[in-house]
Amino acid sequence: MSDEVRRLSDELARDPASLVFLPLGEALRRQGQLDIALKVAVRGLERHPHNADAHDLLARIAVDRGELERAFDEWDMVLRFAPGHAGAKRGMGFVCFRQGRLEDAERYLAEALEADGGDQSTVAALATVRRSLGRPLSEMPAHAPTPVHVPPVVPARQVPRESTADAEQTRDAAPAQPESRAASSTREEPAWLTHTLRTGEASPAAPAPRPPDVGPRDREALSRNPRALFADLIGDADQTALLLDADGFVLAGAYLAHDGRDVAQEVGAELSGVSDEAQRAMRHLDLGDWSQIIVETEVASVILAPAALGGLLLVAADRAMPLGSVRRFLDRALARGRIFVGGDA
Amino acid sequence: MSATPFADTLALLTRQRGVLGSMVVSEADGIIVDSNLQIGVKGNVVAALAASLYRKARLSAQAAGLGTAAFLQLEAQRGRVCAVGRGDLLLVTVAESRANVGLIRVELMRAAEVLG
Repeated sequence: MSDEVRRLSDELARDPASLVFLPLGEALRRQGQLDIALKVAVRGLERHPHNADAHDLLARIAVDRGELERAFDEWDMVLRFAPGHAGAKRGMGFVCFRQGRLEDAERYLAEALEADGGDQSTVAALATVRRSLGRPLSEMPAHAPTPVHVPPVVPARQVPRESTADAEQTRDAAPAQPESRAASSTREEPAWLTHTLRTGEASPAAPAPRPPDVGPRDREALSRNPRALFADLIGDADQTALLLDADGFVLAGAYLAHDGRDVAQEVGAELSGVSDEAQRAMRHLDLGDWSQIIVETEVASVILAPAALGGLLLVAADRAMPLGSVRRFLDRALARGRIFVGGDA
Repeated sequence: MSATPFADTLALLTRQRGVLGSMVVSEADGIIVDSNLQIGVKGNVVAALAASLYRKARLSAQAAGLGTAAFLQLEAQRGRVCAVGRGDLLLVTVAESRANVGLIRVELMRAAEVLG
Protein backbone atom coordinates (compact mmCIF):
# COMPACT_ATOMS: atom_id res chain seq x y z
CA MET A 1 0.00 0.00 0.00
CA SER A 2 1.48 3.34 -1.01
CA ASP A 3 1.91 6.15 1.45
CA GLU A 4 -0.69 8.19 -0.39
CA VAL A 5 -3.29 5.42 -0.24
CA ARG A 6 -2.53 4.79 3.42
CA ARG A 7 -2.84 8.48 4.26
CA LEU A 8 -6.11 8.84 2.36
CA SER A 9 -7.49 5.65 3.91
CA ASP A 10 -6.71 6.94 7.37
CA GLU A 11 -8.34 10.23 6.56
CA LEU A 12 -11.45 8.49 5.28
CA ALA A 13 -11.59 6.30 8.38
CA ARG A 14 -11.49 9.42 10.54
CA ASP A 15 -14.24 11.10 8.57
CA PRO A 16 -16.29 8.60 6.54
CA ALA A 17 -18.63 11.34 5.33
CA SER A 18 -15.81 13.32 3.71
CA LEU A 19 -15.02 13.46 0.02
CA VAL A 20 -11.62 11.86 0.55
CA PHE A 21 -12.97 8.75 -1.10
CA LEU A 22 -12.55 10.55 -4.42
CA PRO A 23 -8.74 10.85 -4.40
CA LEU A 24 -8.49 7.50 -2.60
CA GLY A 25 -10.56 5.71 -5.23
CA GLU A 26 -8.58 7.39 -7.97
CA ALA A 27 -5.26 6.42 -6.38
CA LEU A 28 -6.39 2.81 -6.08
CA ARG A 29 -7.63 2.80 -9.65
CA ARG A 30 -4.30 4.06 -10.91
CA GLN A 31 -2.56 1.33 -8.95
CA GLY A 32 -4.79 -1.21 -10.68
CA GLN A 33 -6.58 -2.21 -7.47
CA LEU A 34 -9.90 -2.03 -9.23
CA ASP A 35 -12.02 -4.11 -6.88
CA ILE A 36 -11.00 -2.03 -3.89
CA ALA A 37 -11.35 1.17 -5.87
CA LEU A 38 -14.85 0.09 -6.83
CA LYS A 39 -15.79 -0.56 -3.20
CA VAL A 40 -14.45 2.81 -2.13
CA ALA A 41 -16.34 4.57 -4.92
CA VAL A 42 -19.60 2.74 -4.25
CA ARG A 43 -19.43 3.44 -0.53
CA GLY A 44 -18.70 7.07 -1.26
CA LEU A 45 -21.69 7.20 -3.57
CA GLU A 46 -23.90 5.84 -0.81
CA ARG A 47 -23.13 8.98 1.16
CA HIS A 48 -22.92 11.33 -1.79
CA PRO A 49 -25.26 9.82 -4.38
CA HIS A 50 -25.53 13.04 -6.31
CA ASN A 51 -21.92 14.04 -6.41
CA ALA A 52 -20.86 14.35 -10.04
CA ASP A 53 -17.21 13.61 -9.35
CA ALA A 54 -18.14 10.41 -7.54
CA HIS A 55 -20.04 9.17 -10.57
CA ASP A 56 -17.13 10.26 -12.74
CA LEU A 57 -14.77 8.18 -10.60
CA LEU A 58 -17.07 5.17 -10.83
CA ALA A 59 -17.23 5.59 -14.60
CA ARG A 60 -13.47 5.54 -14.95
CA ILE A 61 -13.21 2.47 -12.73
CA ALA A 62 -15.88 0.82 -14.85
CA VAL A 63 -13.87 1.52 -17.99
CA ASP A 64 -10.84 -0.08 -16.42
CA ARG A 65 -12.97 -3.11 -15.62
CA GLY A 66 -14.14 -3.27 -19.21
CA GLU A 67 -17.70 -2.32 -18.24
CA LEU A 68 -18.31 0.23 -20.94
CA GLU A 69 -22.09 0.35 -20.63
CA ARG A 70 -21.87 1.02 -16.93
CA ALA A 71 -19.25 3.69 -17.53
CA PHE A 72 -21.49 5.36 -20.07
CA ASP A 73 -24.42 5.33 -17.66
CA GLU A 74 -22.31 6.81 -14.88
CA TRP A 75 -21.06 9.60 -17.11
CA ASP A 76 -24.61 10.19 -18.18
CA MET A 77 -25.46 10.65 -14.49
CA VAL A 78 -22.55 13.08 -14.15
CA LEU A 79 -24.08 15.23 -16.85
CA ARG A 80 -27.37 15.31 -14.99
CA PHE A 81 -25.65 16.81 -11.97
CA ALA A 82 -23.06 18.86 -13.81
CA PRO A 83 -24.18 19.48 -17.40
CA GLY A 84 -20.91 21.18 -18.31
CA HIS A 85 -18.65 18.37 -17.14
CA ALA A 86 -16.13 18.12 -19.97
CA GLY A 87 -14.57 14.95 -18.58
CA ALA A 88 -17.90 13.13 -18.71
CA LYS A 89 -18.53 14.17 -22.29
CA ARG A 90 -15.04 13.15 -23.27
CA GLY A 91 -15.54 9.83 -21.50
CA MET A 92 -18.83 9.18 -23.28
CA GLY A 93 -17.08 9.97 -26.52
CA PHE A 94 -14.46 7.45 -25.52
CA VAL A 95 -17.03 4.75 -24.88
CA CYS A 96 -18.76 5.45 -28.17
CA PHE A 97 -15.44 5.29 -29.98
CA ARG A 98 -14.65 1.94 -28.39
CA GLN A 99 -18.06 0.68 -29.40
CA GLY A 100 -17.58 1.83 -32.97
CA ARG A 101 -20.27 4.52 -32.69
CA LEU A 102 -18.16 7.14 -34.35
CA GLU A 103 -20.88 9.69 -35.00
CA ASP A 104 -21.95 9.63 -31.35
CA ALA A 105 -18.31 9.86 -30.35
CA GLU A 106 -17.94 12.89 -32.57
CA ARG A 107 -20.95 14.56 -30.99
CA TYR A 108 -19.80 13.99 -27.42
CA LEU A 109 -16.27 15.09 -28.18
CA ALA A 110 -17.51 18.22 -29.88
CA GLU A 111 -19.55 19.00 -26.77
CA ALA A 112 -16.52 18.29 -24.60
CA LEU A 113 -14.50 20.69 -26.69
CA GLU A 114 -17.22 23.28 -26.35
CA ALA A 115 -17.13 22.86 -22.58
CA ASP A 116 -13.35 22.93 -22.37
CA GLY A 117 -11.88 24.37 -25.52
CA GLY A 118 -8.39 24.39 -24.12
CA ASP A 119 -8.07 20.64 -23.79
CA GLN A 120 -5.68 19.58 -26.52
CA SER A 121 -6.34 15.88 -26.10
CA THR A 122 -10.01 16.45 -26.90
CA VAL A 123 -9.04 18.46 -29.95
CA ALA A 124 -6.83 15.63 -31.11
CA ALA A 125 -9.48 13.03 -30.35
CA LEU A 126 -12.12 14.90 -32.29
CA ALA A 127 -9.78 15.27 -35.23
CA THR A 128 -9.10 11.53 -35.14
CA VAL A 129 -12.76 10.62 -35.03
CA ARG A 130 -13.69 13.05 -37.78
CA ARG A 131 -10.89 11.75 -39.94
CA SER A 132 -12.16 8.22 -39.36
CA LEU A 133 -15.58 9.39 -40.45
CA GLY A 134 -14.10 10.86 -43.61
CA ARG A 135 -15.08 14.37 -42.70
CA PRO A 136 -13.54 17.15 -44.77
CA LEU A 137 -10.63 19.02 -43.32
CA SER A 138 -12.79 22.10 -42.95
CA GLU A 139 -14.65 20.36 -40.15
CA MET A 140 -11.51 19.62 -38.18
CA PRO A 141 -11.05 21.52 -34.94
CA ALA A 142 -9.37 24.78 -35.78
CA HIS A 143 -6.61 24.44 -33.23
CA ALA A 144 -5.70 20.79 -33.60
CA PRO A 145 -2.13 20.36 -32.52
CA THR A 146 0.46 18.63 -34.66
CA PRO A 147 2.11 16.39 -34.01
CA VAL A 148 0.06 14.54 -31.36
CA HIS A 149 1.59 11.88 -29.17
CA VAL A 150 -0.17 8.54 -29.20
CA PRO A 151 0.32 5.40 -27.15
CA PRO A 152 1.44 2.10 -28.59
CA VAL A 153 -1.13 0.68 -30.94
CA VAL A 154 -3.52 -1.65 -29.12
CA PRO A 155 -6.53 -3.11 -30.89
CA ALA A 156 -9.54 -1.86 -28.99
CA ARG A 157 -11.24 -5.24 -28.96
CA GLN A 158 -8.24 -6.84 -27.42
CA VAL A 159 -7.74 -4.36 -24.63
CA PRO A 160 -7.81 -6.48 -21.50
CA ARG A 161 -10.05 -5.36 -18.70
CA GLU A 162 -7.33 -4.33 -16.36
CA SER A 163 -5.06 -2.97 -19.03
CA THR A 164 -5.57 0.75 -18.60
CA ALA A 165 -3.00 1.14 -15.87
CA ASP A 166 -0.56 -0.92 -17.90
CA ALA A 167 -1.33 1.15 -20.95
CA GLU A 168 -0.60 4.29 -19.02
CA GLN A 169 2.73 2.92 -17.88
CA THR A 170 3.58 1.76 -21.38
CA ARG A 171 2.61 5.11 -22.75
CA ASP A 172 4.91 6.84 -20.34
CA ALA A 173 7.77 4.76 -21.65
CA ALA A 174 6.86 4.91 -25.31
CA PRO A 175 8.42 7.38 -27.70
CA ALA A 176 6.25 10.02 -29.24
CA GLN A 177 4.72 9.03 -32.53
CA PRO A 178 3.09 11.08 -35.26
CA GLU A 179 -0.64 11.55 -35.36
CA SER A 180 -0.98 9.85 -38.73
CA ARG A 181 -0.46 6.54 -37.03
CA ALA A 182 -3.51 7.01 -34.85
CA ALA A 183 -5.50 8.14 -37.81
CA SER A 184 -4.75 5.01 -39.79
CA SER A 185 -7.37 2.87 -38.03
CA THR A 186 -10.31 3.36 -35.68
CA ARG A 187 -9.20 0.25 -33.80
CA GLU A 188 -6.12 2.01 -32.51
CA GLU A 189 -6.07 3.34 -28.98
CA PRO A 190 -5.60 7.08 -29.41
CA ALA A 191 -3.92 9.20 -26.82
CA TRP A 192 -7.12 10.72 -25.59
CA LEU A 193 -8.45 7.34 -24.45
CA THR A 194 -5.88 7.04 -21.75
CA HIS A 195 -5.87 10.77 -21.30
CA THR A 196 -9.54 10.61 -20.47
CA LEU A 197 -8.84 8.21 -17.67
CA ARG A 198 -5.63 9.86 -16.62
CA THR A 199 -7.03 13.32 -16.22
CA GLY A 200 -10.69 12.72 -15.53
CA GLU A 201 -10.39 13.89 -11.98
CA ALA A 202 -8.71 17.06 -13.09
CA SER A 203 -11.64 18.14 -15.22
CA PRO A 204 -13.39 20.78 -13.22
CA ALA A 205 -17.03 19.95 -12.74
CA ALA A 206 -19.35 22.76 -13.55
CA PRO A 207 -21.35 23.78 -10.51
CA ALA A 208 -24.56 21.81 -10.32
CA PRO A 209 -27.47 24.05 -11.20
CA ARG A 210 -30.21 24.68 -8.67
CA PRO A 211 -33.06 25.84 -10.88
CA PRO A 212 -36.09 27.05 -8.98
CA ASP A 213 -38.34 25.55 -11.62
CA VAL A 214 -38.08 23.30 -14.62
CA GLY A 215 -38.12 24.95 -18.00
CA PRO A 216 -39.17 23.25 -21.23
CA ARG A 217 -35.61 22.29 -22.15
CA ASP A 218 -34.92 20.82 -18.70
CA ARG A 219 -38.22 19.00 -18.77
CA GLU A 220 -37.32 17.46 -22.08
CA ALA A 221 -33.92 16.46 -20.70
CA LEU A 222 -35.45 15.02 -17.54
CA SER A 223 -37.88 12.95 -19.54
CA ARG A 224 -34.83 11.37 -21.16
CA ASN A 225 -33.35 10.47 -17.78
CA PRO A 226 -36.13 10.12 -15.22
CA ARG A 227 -33.72 8.67 -12.66
CA ALA A 228 -32.29 12.14 -12.21
CA LEU A 229 -35.63 13.91 -11.92
CA PHE A 230 -35.04 14.97 -8.31
CA ALA A 231 -31.26 15.23 -8.48
CA ASP A 232 -30.98 18.98 -8.12
CA LEU A 233 -33.48 18.97 -5.23
CA ILE A 234 -31.56 16.29 -3.40
CA GLY A 235 -28.10 17.80 -3.71
CA ASP A 236 -25.58 16.07 -1.48
CA ALA A 237 -28.02 15.31 1.31
CA ASP A 238 -28.71 11.74 2.41
CA GLN A 239 -32.16 11.66 0.92
CA THR A 240 -33.87 10.39 -2.15
CA ALA A 241 -37.21 10.47 -3.91
CA LEU A 242 -39.20 8.07 -6.04
CA LEU A 243 -42.22 8.75 -8.17
CA LEU A 244 -44.40 5.68 -8.55
CA ASP A 245 -47.36 5.13 -10.80
CA ALA A 246 -50.72 3.81 -9.64
CA ASP A 247 -49.43 0.24 -9.87
CA GLY A 248 -46.33 0.89 -7.80
CA PHE A 249 -43.93 0.98 -10.74
CA VAL A 250 -41.15 3.54 -10.65
CA LEU A 251 -41.70 6.49 -12.95
CA ALA A 252 -38.74 8.56 -11.84
CA GLY A 253 -36.05 8.80 -9.21
CA ALA A 254 -33.51 6.36 -7.90
CA TYR A 255 -32.80 4.49 -4.68
CA LEU A 256 -29.26 3.21 -4.27
CA ALA A 257 -28.60 0.25 -2.00
CA HIS A 258 -25.39 -0.18 -0.02
CA ASP A 259 -23.78 -2.04 -2.90
CA GLY A 260 -24.60 0.71 -5.37
CA ARG A 261 -27.53 -1.09 -7.00
CA ASP A 262 -30.63 0.89 -7.78
CA VAL A 263 -33.34 -0.83 -5.75
CA ALA A 264 -36.01 1.76 -6.48
CA GLN A 265 -38.41 -0.78 -7.93
CA GLU A 266 -38.18 -3.07 -4.91
CA VAL A 267 -38.54 -0.26 -2.39
CA GLY A 268 -41.35 1.32 -4.36
CA ALA A 269 -43.25 -1.92 -4.70
CA GLU A 270 -42.97 -2.72 -0.99
CA LEU A 271 -43.90 0.69 0.33
CA SER A 272 -46.63 1.48 -2.15
CA GLY A 273 -48.72 -1.21 -0.46
CA VAL A 274 -48.88 1.02 2.61
CA SER A 275 -50.92 3.57 0.72
CA ASP A 276 -53.53 0.93 -0.12
CA GLU A 277 -53.95 0.30 3.60
CA ALA A 278 -54.25 4.03 4.21
CA GLN A 279 -56.94 4.31 1.58
CA ARG A 280 -58.87 1.55 3.28
CA ALA A 281 -58.50 3.19 6.67
CA MET A 282 -59.75 6.52 5.35
CA ARG A 283 -62.94 4.98 4.06
CA HIS A 284 -63.83 3.80 7.57
CA LEU A 285 -62.55 6.65 9.72
CA ASP A 286 -64.25 9.56 7.97
CA LEU A 287 -61.08 11.63 8.07
CA GLY A 288 -61.19 12.67 4.41
CA ASP A 289 -58.50 11.88 1.87
CA TRP A 290 -55.08 11.02 3.22
CA SER A 291 -52.30 13.44 2.40
CA GLN A 292 -49.17 11.91 3.94
CA ILE A 293 -47.93 8.77 5.59
CA ILE A 294 -44.79 9.17 7.64
CA VAL A 295 -42.87 6.10 8.70
CA GLU A 296 -39.81 6.50 10.87
CA THR A 297 -37.56 3.48 10.95
CA GLU A 298 -34.25 2.70 12.58
CA VAL A 299 -32.30 4.17 9.70
CA ALA A 300 -34.60 6.39 7.71
CA SER A 301 -37.58 8.69 7.68
CA VAL A 302 -39.93 7.83 4.85
CA ILE A 303 -42.87 9.92 3.69
CA LEU A 304 -45.44 8.80 1.17
CA ALA A 305 -47.83 11.19 -0.48
CA PRO A 306 -50.38 10.89 -3.28
CA ALA A 307 -49.02 12.10 -6.60
CA ALA A 308 -50.57 13.04 -9.92
CA LEU A 309 -52.57 10.50 -11.93
CA GLY A 310 -53.13 8.21 -8.96
CA GLY A 311 -49.44 7.78 -8.40
CA LEU A 312 -47.38 7.97 -5.25
CA LEU A 313 -44.36 9.98 -4.25
CA LEU A 314 -41.95 8.44 -1.79
CA VAL A 315 -39.15 10.38 -0.17
CA ALA A 316 -36.66 8.84 2.20
CA ALA A 317 -34.00 10.56 4.22
CA ASP A 318 -31.42 9.64 6.78
CA ARG A 319 -32.96 9.39 10.22
CA ALA A 320 -30.68 12.16 11.41
CA MET A 321 -32.38 14.63 9.11
CA PRO A 322 -35.09 16.65 10.89
CA LEU A 323 -38.55 15.51 9.90
CA GLY A 324 -39.53 19.06 9.01
CA SER A 325 -36.74 19.20 6.44
CA VAL A 326 -37.89 15.92 4.96
CA ARG A 327 -41.41 17.31 4.62
CA ARG A 328 -40.10 20.40 2.86
CA PHE A 329 -38.19 18.16 0.51
CA LEU A 330 -41.40 16.22 -0.08
CA ASP A 331 -43.25 19.41 -1.04
CA ARG A 332 -40.61 20.33 -3.59
CA ALA A 333 -40.46 16.80 -4.96
CA LEU A 334 -44.25 16.73 -5.30
CA ALA A 335 -44.14 19.92 -7.34
CA ARG A 336 -41.41 18.47 -9.54
CA GLY A 337 -43.37 15.23 -9.94
CA ARG A 338 -46.44 17.15 -11.07
CA ILE A 339 -44.40 18.91 -13.74
CA PHE A 340 -42.87 15.64 -14.85
CA VAL A 341 -46.17 13.80 -15.12
CA GLY A 342 -47.72 16.80 -16.80
CA GLY A 343 -44.86 16.87 -19.27
CA ASP A 344 -45.28 13.20 -19.95
CA ALA A 345 -48.99 13.43 -20.43
CA MET B 1 -62.10 -3.07 38.27
CA SER B 2 -58.43 -2.14 38.67
CA ALA B 3 -56.70 0.14 36.19
CA THR B 4 -54.34 -1.39 33.65
CA PRO B 5 -50.64 -0.43 33.55
CA PHE B 6 -51.46 1.77 30.58
CA ALA B 7 -54.25 3.86 32.07
CA ASP B 8 -52.14 6.80 33.22
CA THR B 9 -50.21 6.95 29.97
CA LEU B 10 -53.39 6.90 27.90
CA ALA B 11 -54.97 9.60 30.01
CA LEU B 12 -51.90 11.76 29.61
CA LEU B 13 -51.96 11.36 25.84
CA THR B 14 -55.65 12.07 25.49
CA ARG B 15 -55.24 15.31 27.43
CA GLN B 16 -53.08 16.73 24.63
CA ARG B 17 -54.79 19.46 22.62
CA GLY B 18 -56.65 18.04 19.64
CA VAL B 19 -56.24 14.40 20.64
CA LEU B 20 -59.54 12.54 20.38
CA GLY B 21 -58.37 9.35 21.96
CA SER B 22 -55.52 6.98 22.54
CA MET B 23 -55.32 3.26 22.97
CA VAL B 24 -53.02 0.29 23.35
CA VAL B 25 -53.64 -2.19 20.58
CA SER B 26 -52.38 -5.64 19.73
CA GLU B 27 -50.54 -5.34 16.43
CA ALA B 28 -51.26 -8.91 15.42
CA ASP B 29 -55.05 -8.74 15.50
CA GLY B 30 -56.00 -5.09 16.02
CA ILE B 31 -57.81 -5.80 19.32
CA ILE B 32 -57.88 -2.99 21.91
CA VAL B 33 -55.93 -3.79 25.07
CA ASP B 34 -56.81 -0.52 26.79
CA SER B 35 -58.16 2.82 25.64
CA ASN B 36 -59.03 6.35 26.64
CA LEU B 37 -61.39 7.78 24.04
CA GLN B 38 -63.64 10.78 23.72
CA ILE B 39 -67.27 10.07 23.07
CA GLY B 40 -68.01 9.36 19.44
CA VAL B 41 -64.60 7.96 18.50
CA LYS B 42 -64.94 4.54 16.89
CA GLY B 43 -62.21 2.88 18.92
CA ASN B 44 -62.54 -0.58 17.45
CA VAL B 45 -62.33 0.71 13.90
CA VAL B 46 -59.33 2.93 14.63
CA ALA B 47 -57.57 0.12 16.45
CA ALA B 48 -58.09 -2.40 13.68
CA LEU B 49 -57.04 -0.04 10.92
CA ALA B 50 -54.08 1.42 12.79
CA ALA B 51 -52.77 -2.05 13.58
CA SER B 52 -53.17 -3.18 10.01
CA LEU B 53 -51.50 -0.06 8.65
CA TYR B 54 -48.63 -0.23 11.12
CA ARG B 55 -48.05 -3.91 10.43
CA LYS B 56 -47.97 -3.24 6.70
CA ALA B 57 -45.57 -0.34 7.14
CA ARG B 58 -43.31 -2.38 9.42
CA LEU B 59 -43.11 -5.31 7.04
CA SER B 60 -42.65 -3.06 4.02
CA ALA B 61 -39.89 -1.07 5.69
CA GLN B 62 -38.10 -4.27 6.61
CA ALA B 63 -38.48 -5.65 3.11
CA ALA B 64 -37.12 -2.41 1.71
CA GLY B 65 -34.08 -2.67 3.95
CA LEU B 66 -35.01 0.31 6.08
CA GLY B 67 -34.96 -1.48 9.41
CA THR B 68 -37.65 -1.66 12.04
CA ALA B 69 -40.44 0.88 11.93
CA ALA B 70 -40.61 2.98 15.07
CA PHE B 71 -43.26 5.59 14.40
CA LEU B 72 -46.07 5.95 11.91
CA GLN B 73 -48.29 8.89 11.16
CA LEU B 74 -51.18 8.97 8.77
CA GLU B 75 -52.23 12.49 7.89
CA ALA B 76 -55.62 13.21 6.35
CA GLN B 77 -57.86 16.16 5.60
CA ARG B 78 -59.75 16.02 8.90
CA GLY B 79 -57.34 14.41 11.27
CA ARG B 80 -54.42 12.11 11.81
CA VAL B 81 -53.58 8.78 13.30
CA CYS B 82 -50.22 8.20 14.97
CA ALA B 83 -48.78 4.94 16.22
CA VAL B 84 -45.62 3.67 17.87
CA GLY B 85 -44.85 0.02 18.41
CA ARG B 86 -42.97 -2.10 20.90
CA GLY B 87 -43.06 -5.82 20.42
CA ASP B 88 -46.59 -6.92 19.74
CA LEU B 89 -48.23 -3.81 21.17
CA LEU B 90 -49.00 -0.46 19.62
CA LEU B 91 -49.74 2.85 21.20
CA VAL B 92 -52.20 4.65 18.94
CA THR B 93 -53.65 8.14 19.02
CA VAL B 94 -56.27 9.68 16.81
CA ALA B 95 -56.27 13.45 16.64
CA GLU B 96 -57.83 16.39 14.87
CA SER B 97 -55.84 18.10 12.16
CA ARG B 98 -55.32 21.14 14.42
CA ALA B 99 -53.40 19.03 16.93
CA ASN B 100 -49.70 19.69 17.45
CA VAL B 101 -48.31 16.56 15.87
CA GLY B 102 -44.77 17.31 16.95
CA LEU B 103 -45.85 17.28 20.56
CA ILE B 104 -47.97 14.19 20.10
CA ARG B 105 -45.01 12.41 18.52
CA VAL B 106 -42.72 13.28 21.43
CA GLU B 107 -45.31 12.17 23.97
CA LEU B 108 -45.98 8.97 22.07
CA MET B 109 -42.31 8.06 21.85
CA ARG B 110 -41.93 8.71 25.53
CA ALA B 111 -45.08 6.86 26.45
CA ALA B 112 -44.10 3.86 24.32
CA GLU B 113 -41.72 2.88 27.08
CA VAL B 114 -44.67 1.57 29.08
CA LEU B 115 -45.32 -0.99 26.37
CA GLY B 116 -42.20 -2.75 27.55
